[in-house]
Amino acid sequence: MEYLSTNKIAIVDLANSKVSDQELDEDLVKEKMGGAGITTALYEQYQNEDPIVLGTGLLTGTLAPASALGVITAKSPLTGKVCHAPFTLYAGLELKYSGFDYVVIKGKSQKPVYLWMHDGVADISNAKDVWGKDVWTSTDTIRELMGDQLIQVLTIGKAGEFESDFAQVCINYWASGDRWGFGKLFGQKKLKGVALRGMSLLEVSDAEGFVQQCKELLSALKAGAFAGKKGIAELSVAIGEEDIQKWIAPLVHRHESCFNTPFPTNTFVFLDEDPGLLKESEKNEPGFLVTDIYSLLGFKKLGLSAADACALLRECARYGIDALAVAELSQKAGKKKPDEIKKSFSSLKGPLENIGKGKFSPWSPNFGLPANEWERRQAVAYIFGIHPIFAMMAPELSEEKLVELANIGTGLGFTSETLNKVIADIAK
Amino acid sequence: MACEMACGYHRDDGFALLSSCIMVTRGREKRDYSAVVLKEAENLVIARPEGLEIRRIGAAAEETGADQSKGDASAKPLLLRQPCDLCNDREEGPLCLQFCPVNAISMD
Repeated sequence: MEYLSTNKIAIVDLANSKVSDQELDEDLVKEKMGGAGITTALYEQYQNEDPIVLGTGLLTGTLAPASALGVITAKSPLTGKVCHAPFTLYAGLELKYSGFDYVVIKGKSQKPVYLWMHDGVADISNAKDVWGKDVWTSTDTIRELMGDQLIQVLTIGKAGEFESDFAQVCINYWASGDRWGFGKLFGQKKLKGVALRGMSLLEVSDAEGFVQQCKELLSALKAGAFAGKKGIAELSVAIGEEDIQKWIAPLVHRHESCFNTPFPTNTFVFLDEDPGLLKESEKNEPGFLVTDIYSLLGFKKLGLSAADACALLRECARYGIDALAVAELSQKAGKKKPDEIKKSFSSLKGPLENIGKGKFSPWSPNFGLPANEWERRQAVAYIFGIHPIFAMMAPELSEEKLVELANIGTGLGFTSETLNKVIADIAK
Repeated sequence: MACEMACGYHRDDGFALLSSCIMVTRGREKRDYSAVVLKEAENLVIARPEGLEIRRIGAAAEETGADQSKGDASAKPLLLRQPCDLCNDREEGPLCLQFCPVNAISMD
């Protein structure tokens, strides 16, 4: 695969500590396009070895608007189905620039390890310095060991190490869209995390044509319905939860976008610092980046104050547990005090009602779309590598436009029929 | 980051970050503190929430007393990159302005 690609797939066998790589076959791309299309194909190819597959979309890490998405594909411990979870912020970008479009992680390690992917090299590293540590300490430690604060880290906390059903693969310090318990799979493999950083160069088939098309799309998006809006509270309003805006406003410091995403879907709240501060805080850890609407709503519905809810989200992220599961199971158990909720992390059990029914993480709201249309829109986002929440907000990023952009960028002849077939294959 | 990618494209005709002369510092993620740094021929332009600062290249560390070992890993390479040419071969002007998804960059 020559364009918009690093042309490499890493095959990591944790059982014998071996890493090999193979070329990304252009015929595979022509047939399965990218993202969840190819992670699904790779999962099927290695399914007897219980793989976790990481991947990037066709457009991930380019000037295509919202091209922030990376995908984790594996069998969910919660549903027993092969599902896809998103990783955003800068992690999707860094996976592609680490020199690999896809990573197949198979087998189980005898001892704790983490995967260090950088500049076309995938190393299985001893995790003795981070195993037993929470998500925040693990990310700090890996970055310090490698001497680079920009490394993106997909990591588990203690929930994953203890193989909790609700363990989440977190991104750096923050919650992710892993609503499938993939953190448990990491723990079972003794895989503490995957660290990503690289300086690759992606070639483009028709570079000027691609850039021009991206520019036109971005202009249309900036004039779209979300113009002037930002943050987690606005997203909540859009799904009919207006109360949240007033509730969280006193804590909001600012909003943060994922790579190249025109709408900031994340909101940073200050918990131990004045939210009005407009210079660098002297505190190392003044707050928390809220990346998940539903877990915030879940804690709000327990009757917690915004400060208590956000502080609990921070504790969940440190522990590496899905905060929505914590909120739902706390509600069922009648627990409403932050301390008792926090103490319950290690013993959390029980069936969930708020669980994904389809293939894609319900982290992304449906904004009123019927389930089948939401599922298709998510499939499109996960194939092209578009931020899955932003994809729901941006009709300007139509299937036709994305196919056209992919064709300009890759020089391949994708059609709407190709896309339909890939979506149908993923849904099987 | 999109601005870095756009600048990298201007330099390399492909997508890359290493040669960009503009950079978003985002190393102090837990503090949610960031700035946009631009390399000019003789200056570093640093735009932060509290305002704009111009530092002479080469004198930056001495003037601020900053501990460079605690800077972003890519901070030093920025000094080795080509200075901003305002995309002078492009009729529509600097690509970083055009591609900033949240309109954070402007030019006087």
